[in-house]
Amino acid sequence: MSLLGMFWNQTVCLLQHFRGRKNRCYSLAVRAVRRAFVYASKARKAKRRSMRQLWIQRVAAASREQHMKYPALIHNLLKCSVALNRRVLCDLSITEPRSFQSLTALAHARRTEGLRAALGDGAEPPGVFSRITQLQ
Amino acid sequence: MSSFSRSAQQWATFARSWLLIDARMQPPGKIASVCSVRLQGKHKPIYHPLSDIGDHVVVMNTRHIAFSGNKWEQKVYSSHTGYPGSFKQLTAAQMHQKDPTAIIKLAVYGMLPKNLTRRTMMQRLQLFPDDLLPDDILRNLTEELPQPREIPRKLSEYTQEERDAFPMLWTPFRAELRCRPVRMVC
Repeated sequence: MSLLGMFWNQTVCLLQHFRGRKNRCYSLAVRAVRRAFVYASKARKAKRRSMRQLWIQRVAAASREQHMKYPALIHNLLKCSVALNRRVLCDLSITEPRSFQSLTALAHARRTEGLRAALGDGAEPPGVFSRITQLQ
Repeated sequence: MSSFSRSAQQWATFARSWLLIDARMQPPGKIASVCSVRLQGKHKPIYHPLSDIGDHVVVMNTRHIAFSGNKWEQKVYSSHTGYPGSFKQLTAAQMHQKDPTAIIKLAVYGMLPKNLTRRTMMQRLQLFPDDLLPDDILRNLTEELPQPREIPRKLSEYTQEERDAFPMLWTPFRAELRCRPVRMVC
């Protein structure tokens, strides 16, 4: 059982798509494989960051379709104790547009609550379920 | 994604629509930011930078854009071809004179992401100096976007009733003169 044989047996599926002599020659391949593993480890951490960034962009786009901005939506959902994370909000905005619309309506109602209390006639906004919540 | 759910069919989700925007009396930067958002597809919840889901944007009346402030004289567009002595600097007014669509084109180009998809998105942007659009583009248009800036009315566009109904904010100079003792020559 030679070390060289073990190396090629274990890594041939990984480095077949490498460019140049890195996919054939041992010394170059060893270095390339080590770099590839390092990049993969870094990317596993960065994947979570980039997925969150994508969710935020999608939720922002969907909320702008409903005439509301992303920071306003998130802050007001937080104030209403709606603990939906960005992943779920993104999925709802794509596959359940009406549910997302009702969430934006809720956030909008919570946002304009102070203004309505000051200027309005104390009537509840139509279609929004109101309940006193304690922020945890 | 681990959270696929059975939801209703949404038709034409991935369709590429043709949007129209009128740039008359609008600041070119605001027009450009609206265009760049639509060209990238960032207004859609299915956005992904690699998916190429941007829409076509048609901008008309680019000849009639309105810079705020003194930008027509002060804003400078510089270019260099790489050869010695070919550094050119043009003010916005000169650039607009040479090519009425160049200002918006450069603004949108600068607002798009600086990657290989930028050129494809620029090809999807159509600019027209006046409101004369070719037939095939007119047939493709689906939606008109609202103008970013509300155009203020000129004084001549107000009716006499509206002018009279406007409240008096301060007494004008002639009324003050009436209060001062004026020497009468008999």
